[in-house]
Amino acid sequence: MVAAARDPQLPTHWFNILHDRPQYVASAMPRSRLPEEVTRAGHAVQLQQPFSLARQSLNTADRFIPIPGEVLDLYAQYRPTPLRRAVRLEERLGANARIYYKYEGANLTGSHKLNSALAQAYYYSRAGVKHIVTGTAAGQWGTALAYACQVMNLGCTVFMVRATLRQKPIRGEMMRLFGAVVHESPSDLTDVGQRVLKEDPAATGTQAVANGEALELAGEDSESRFAVGSGENSVLLHQTVIGQEAVSQMAVLGEFPDCVVACMGAGSNFGGIALPLLGAAEDSGRSIRLVAVESAACPKLTRGRYLYDLSDALGTTPITRVYSLGSTYVPPPVYAGGLRHHSAGPLASAMYADGSLEAMAIDQLTSFRAGMMFCETEGILPAPESAHAVAGMMDVVSRHPRQGPPLVVLVNISGHGLLDLDAYRRFAAGEIEPVEANETRLSQSLKALEEFNQAIAAAAEAP
Amino acid sequence: MAAGDSSEVRTELDRRRAASLVFDALTAAIPGLRVEALDERQELYADLGMDSLAFVQTLVELESKLDVPLLDEDLMTNELVNVADLVDLVERISPPAAK
Repeated sequence: MVAAARDPQLPTHWFNILHDRPQYVASAMPRSRLPEEVTRAGHAVQLQQPFSLARQSLNTADRFIPIPGEVLDLYAQYRPTPLRRAVRLEERLGANARIYYKYEGANLTGSHKLNSALAQAYYYSRAGVKHIVTGTAAGQWGTALAYACQVMNLGCTVFMVRATLRQKPIRGEMMRLFGAVVHESPSDLTDVGQRVLKEDPAATGTQAVANGEALELAGEDSESRFAVGSGENSVLLHQTVIGQEAVSQMAVLGEFPDCVVACMGAGSNFGGIALPLLGAAEDSGRSIRLVAVESAACPKLTRGRYLYDLSDALGTTPITRVYSLGSTYVPPPVYAGGLRHHSAGPLASAMYADGSLEAMAIDQLTSFRAGMMFCETEGILPAPESAHAVAGMMDVVSRHPRQGPPLVVLVNISGHGLLDLDAYRRFAAGEIEPVEANETRLSQSLKALEEFNQAIAAAAEAP
Repeated sequence: MAAGDSSEVRTELDRRRAASLVFDALTAAIPGLRVEALDERQELYADLGMDSLAFVQTLVELESKLDVPLLDEDLMTNELVNVADLVDLVERISPPAAK
């Protein structure tokens, strides 16, 4: 049964950038070339993602991929999402700019993550999977997937990074409300978690460890599979409903952005808004700036290396070339847990490498200041991740000349911050510090990453 | 195989054809792999270094060569250890015309 009429501005297809730029298809380092790779005899190869979903990440043939009707009906319950001009913020900033924002926080689960969660749950359900296991950092993906699994009658288990689950335990409660089983990561349920806890019982956890635990648990049950909420091309594809809507909504206003700004975890909300705008700009012969805003605590683009790296702590997922701080890097706990992944996804990394996007790192204090100003002027409290995007947008606007044509800028508010009220309270009380990267850990991790790649190169040259 | 047993002959040819398709798909999906270095006893993960991305790339290649859409439900339950397992899979999912 259809619960909501489809709005004419709701896209019926996902926009596939791989058609225009097939060079962005990820290529993995064959594991046989890895140095000191533990070749686990008897280890079975098995699809974690349904084939129809996984192949989306490799599709260079179709510029637009139809959204299944069942997913479209679910999108219709909360899409199109609002696009608004931030007039009061413009006045407060005294900016020579017209600032627009797309707001993805108004759905039940509170962020853009639902766009891919519903799509993925649909494909897994159709493939006969009974249970999905995942890792989540800030909890937005875990919440969205828990809800999507409930809609599709799937079981759901979530490993949530310890630092963020302890910062906002209510995120865990929300997932449980949707029927998910939630574990703090690292946990003693898996070998991956036990290994981390043995080394450091007080480990704060990382997305790589949470994903590693999820992969391990999924592998223990033939009816369970692992799912991921960012980084994969298919996930970015599902998010392109955001940017496609923005193109049409801005066209109604006679506008097209000079610059698009979004925060960068592994790339899903960034890709979701930026890729369709990039496609539309190229179609119309316009130029467009794409700005990715990362956390200064985890500056993977601005300070990382473009090398082959592991994505998860289990180490069985493809080893792709990405901008990374090294998979062993543990960023200091920050409230923007969604920006703590050690690497950008392969597609966002390839775009940064070829100059298609710019990047900047914003510290936590600056982001909260921007988020608070956005709340005061626009009546929306952005999630800490989205507050980074707001701060980045303000930086871009502040550098635009005061004279001459105004800059038209579009920023993605990927989620609301209503479950982060304690963080905003601490900001208001002056208790938030500008957290930067842990330099000691960062240099150790980068060194290990470079040695790993040197060994790969040596192995490839060996007779 | 008994001489003159046409069904056995057909099965043998089917398997040879399936193995050939699999070898071609594997070499297309895994950089640096050569057909002459392949045999059915090799393990996909431990010997060929196949990860999930290479597995999906192999399936895309096979789908194209078989000219038949591969269905999620046919693939999701398979746990493949060696090349022979993949050849078995191709035999099962091949349309009659490809056999």
